[in-house]
Amino acid sequence: MGKRKSRAKPETKKRMDKLDTVFSCPFCNHGTSVECRIDMKNLIGEAICGICQESFSMTINALSEPIDVYSEWIDECERVNNVEDD
Amino acid sequence: MDVEDDEYEIVPAPVPMEEDEEKQEINQEDVWPVINAYFEEMGLQSEFVETVYKIKFGQIYVSKPIMTKADGKTTTLFPRAARLRNLTYSLPLYVDVTKEIVQRGHACEEVTGTEELSKVFIGKVPIMLRSKYCRLYGNSEKDLVELGECPYDQGVYFIINGSEKVLIAQEKMSTNHVYVFKRKQPNKFAYVAEVRSMAESHSRPPSSMFVGMVSRGKAKGSSPGQCTRATLPYIRADIPIIVVFRALGFVADKDILEHICYDFQDSEMVDLLRPSLEEAFVFQNQEVALDYIGKRGSTVGATRAKRIQYTKEILQKEMLPHVGTGEPEDDRDHYGNKRLDLAGPLLGGLFRSLFRKLTRDVRGYAQRCVDNGKDCNLHFGIRASTITNGLKYSLGTGNWGQTNAAGTRAGVSQVLNRLTYASTLSHLRRLNSPIGREGKLAKPRQLHNSQWGIMCPAETPEGQACGPVNNLALMAYITVGSLAIPILETLDEWGVENFGEISPAVIHQSTKIFVNGCWVGIHRNPELLVTTLRQLRRRIDVNTEVGVIRDACLNEVRLYTDYGRCSRPLFIVENQRLLIKKRDIQALQQREFPEEIGRHDLIEKGYIEYVDTEEEETTMISMTIDDLVSARLNPKEAYSNTYTHCEIHPSLILGVCASIILFPDHNQSPRNTYQSAMGKQAMGIYVTNYQLRMDTLAYVLYYPQKPLVTTRAMEHLHFRQLPAGINAIVAIACYSGYNQEDSVIMNQSSIDRGFFLSLFFRSYRDEEKKVGTLIKEDFGRPSRENTTGMRHGSYDKLDDDGLAAPGTRVSGEDAIIGKTSPVAQDDAEQGMTSRLTRRDHSTIMRQSESGMVDQVMLTTNANGLRFVKVRMRSVRIPQIGDKFSSRHGQKGTIGMTYTQEDMPWTVEGITPDIIVNPHAIPSRMTIGQLIECIMGKVAAHVGKEGDATPFTDVTVDNISKALHKCGYQMRGYETMYNGHTGRKLTSMIFLGPTYYQRLKHMVDDKIHSRGRGPVQILTRQPAEGRSRDGGLRFREMERDCMIAHGAANFLKERLMDQSDAYRVHVCEHCGLIAIANLRKGTFECRGCKNKTDIVQVHIPCACKLLFQELMSMAIAPRMLT
Repeated sequence: MGKRKSRAKPETKKRMDKLDTVFSCPFCNHGTSVECRIDMKNLIGEAICGICQESFSMTINALSEPIDVYSEWIDECERVNNVEDD
Repeated sequence: MDVEDDEYEIVPAPVPMEEDEEKQEINQEDVWPVINAYFEEMGLQSEFVETVYKIKFGQIYVSKPIMTKADGKTTTLFPRAARLRNLTYSLPLYVDVTKEIVQRGHACEEVTGTEELSKVFIGKVPIMLRSKYCRLYGNSEKDLVELGECPYDQGVYFIINGSEKVLIAQEKMSTNHVYVFKRKQPNKFAYVAEVRSMAESHSRPPSSMFVGMVSRGKAKGSSPGQCTRATLPYIRADIPIIVVFRALGFVADKDILEHICYDFQDSEMVDLLRPSLEEAFVFQNQEVALDYIGKRGSTVGATRAKRIQYTKEILQKEMLPHVGTGEPEDDRDHYGNKRLDLAGPLLGGLFRSLFRKLTRDVRGYAQRCVDNGKDCNLHFGIRASTITNGLKYSLGTGNWGQTNAAGTRAGVSQVLNRLTYASTLSHLRRLNSPIGREGKLAKPRQLHNSQWGIMCPAETPEGQACGPVNNLALMAYITVGSLAIPILETLDEWGVENFGEISPAVIHQSTKIFVNGCWVGIHRNPELLVTTLRQLRRRIDVNTEVGVIRDACLNEVRLYTDYGRCSRPLFIVENQRLLIKKRDIQALQQREFPEEIGRHDLIEKGYIEYVDTEEEETTMISMTIDDLVSARLNPKEAYSNTYTHCEIHPSLILGVCASIILFPDHNQSPRNTYQSAMGKQAMGIYVTNYQLRMDTLAYVLYYPQKPLVTTRAMEHLHFRQLPAGINAIVAIACYSGYNQEDSVIMNQSSIDRGFFLSLFFRSYRDEEKKVGTLIKEDFGRPSRENTTGMRHGSYDKLDDDGLAAPGTRVSGEDAIIGKTSPVAQDDAEQGMTSRLTRRDHSTIMRQSESGMVDQVMLTTNANGLRFVKVRMRSVRIPQIGDKFSSRHGQKGTIGMTYTQEDMPWTVEGITPDIIVNPHAIPSRMTIGQLIECIMGKVAAHVGKEGDATPFTDVTVDNISKALHKCGYQMRGYETMYNGHTGRKLTSMIFLGPTYYQRLKHMVDDKIHSRGRGPVQILTRQPAEGRSRDGGLRFREMERDCMIAHGAANFLKERLMDQSDAYRVHVCEHCGLIAIANLRKGTFECRGCKNKTDIVQVHIPCACKLLFQELMSMAIAPRMLT
């Protein structure tokens, strides 16, 4: 059999993962339903679940990204849950 | 819960190499979490006392290399036996193991039993020849000869399954060094600083950190100006550098600025940082900053507290701040930034990972024992084969790392080249940098200034590996590495202010001190510190390997103690005078034993020191001693008046192969590179014990001569003792035209007298393999009566023992090792036993080779099986087509041989041995060869060796004058007479002795033709390659040629009729292949129910194969006729 020229696969450089922009909803648990709107003009960030229409908004700064808004929402949920527990 | 730290007792191991590994994982503490988890539950339900096994590895022991025989007994093993019997030259490794059984209640804890197992066998470690634990260590030359070793052999290789393996040094970038690069625009960043950070005594892979300055106008959002961002490991977005500082606890702007630019007056720097500060204004405390980073980590949807914890861990574990700034861009290719992994670190790393695997297995075993409630017997738990086979696998295959594991490097271990002594030496000093060979970037391939004296500028392969594969220069030394602690203590003594004690404000006024890339403190008088350190080093109060670099521009002093730095020795110069004195030289010359005063004394007395590539940048080195003299006598015209060192000799920049070239400084540089490659193919005496070895291939020259003209370096390469060539009388002339296009005319009468006569050895080997317990192969002469599968060659040359006796003439396709195996009889058809009881497995000589059986060796191998090696010898007489070369990259094949009477002669009656064509000279500019020739002529007449060392003041004029004195034409010309006609040749001929090499490429090994012959089974195309009597390929260009000629029928004949013509029967209705029974003459297409409309088609067999494959995939290739 004719030998095929074997060439080692070019090493794929491990690329840094991009930051997420869609998240799972803390209310309806849908995997990718939360999207964030970042309004740089008014410095307001809003996270809305496309499925259950739950939303959360906060003031943001120049460096904020969707993940910041979402993380803040999770913290808020946590806080509310803890208050209810107590 | 945890094992106390003092259990971590490190016992000094006898072998320095293994010492490191012992430190890594002595304890088996990882057992606890597993065992505890199991017992926690049980303990709660009843007052069950949990049992904990602690396993500790302690002192290690090694013995001398041994082998285990089939009956389990051990015997001593010598390298020669290992090579001949295909064994592995290794020594067993033992370790003391302590097992502690601890019973644990809720509050109390008691040790109920300890078991000390001393000297548990954990594996066999291949040992480097001539190393401290090798049996050859410290043996005298005489002892070595008695042991069947070559006294000139350098060792430094391993023997794995009988083959000699070299570990090729691997190049890597040095860690803990900040590199600053300008990025090519357009790019997100304008400048990037990167550091691959690794803590000392850590073995985990270095973690990298990048700090980049964002390009102008590229910044996202509203932030103006150029911000600085950092890329942290495991964080998915770039973080503003100020946020990183805040996360680390430096909250106030002032604190941060103090750590970046120590001087607030430096307004330029402050301005550069302003945008970064403004950008991060919104994060004004540590918590927020940590949270900001944590949100960008790998965990999405974690709570704030968890995020902060995560960030803290990352910053602690993964980010080591070495951030500094350098004005000029760094140089990736500078050899000071490179480290070489030699056999020690390579093997050490491999051993470490294997030992880790062993401990993991032991833990698994212990866990299984505990789970099953059985007693834990460590003798079963510790599997020695892990280390034994792991090391053997990597050394044997060259795949560095565990089998199938990611990140393995191939080609680290190679079979030692034994063609010529020089090729062996050169192979042992080879370096490899593992950058992709495909990369188009030329820079890493080019010779870098910093490689001066470290790597040979000439010796590198041509083609894809040109540049990344290098060879060490003769005097290069790779540091072994030492601990940093002694240096740190010395620094403390000499007034280095510790990092903790100083305020950031004073930093910019003083000099930063780095040890192995780590910032350890500052000093206010660097000049003094550096001179003191150098003095201490020259007195051996500080390790001589330590590199001391003072970087005045960056206000830094860098010290290096790590392993793998390249350094080289230099004479120390003070006040434009060498410190070494004439009397020291005389003492060296007059000593009786080399041990008396040596290299070590010269270093100890401070005459010579090793300077590494980075330190070299801070020195002023004079090329010759004459430069120093002129600097002293004539300071105004001197090149420099601040010499600190002097080159020992500039010719030492060359490597092994390039040191064999005469006057390389008179040759065009690629010619030196060509010769460096060709010198490795020259025949000579490759080791003195070649008669005692059974190499698969070996070439030996009958009458090698030491060269008339030599270089001083050749003395140390033992070229005189183990030469690879002959001083041939070479004429540069046009004579009959049979030496055109790099061919040469050779004197047949010289050949008849033994000129370049050589030997060729090939060894065949075989063993009596065992399949199961019943079937065993047997050496013996197969007979045609009872043996199947016998070849058509001759079996007559075999003795009754199945081996051809020494002295038997053998030629192509003769059996030289007879071997058969029994054929299973039970499935014989029709109840009657077949007469064929055995199957042939004999070793057949290579076709196209012939010779005489030289030596036969019958022994047993590692598995106790009978093992045989048969060496075949043949004499190779130079003939038309054989390849020769001078030592200047001037190769040529013999185009014609003339007997002496047909050769031109001089008045003295001298006829040349070789006539080369003058056209070989002008375009190639190998002036060195011409000088060699006239110097050889002088040397022959004076009866002395000529010195052709490069960079000396030998001039052609001087040699010419000497030649003139001998009564010859100054430039080496001779009046000559035509051998055929007797007429005087019109022009004078350049003639003289030139050292020629016979290269291993010989026509008899290459000649090949085929009319018909074997074909491949699948495609029925002719087999490939000379060894299989294969066909000659008709390729694209030949095809183009035929098309251009319009020779269509010829083309079709080549591609089909002469290759894999095939005949198929095709149904005319469906176009698919039909069933044809040619004997009965019936044709049928079942699908179409067609028995009449069938046609015969000629197609290549490969085409038929393709159609069948397509049909198997439910694609119908229809041949519509």
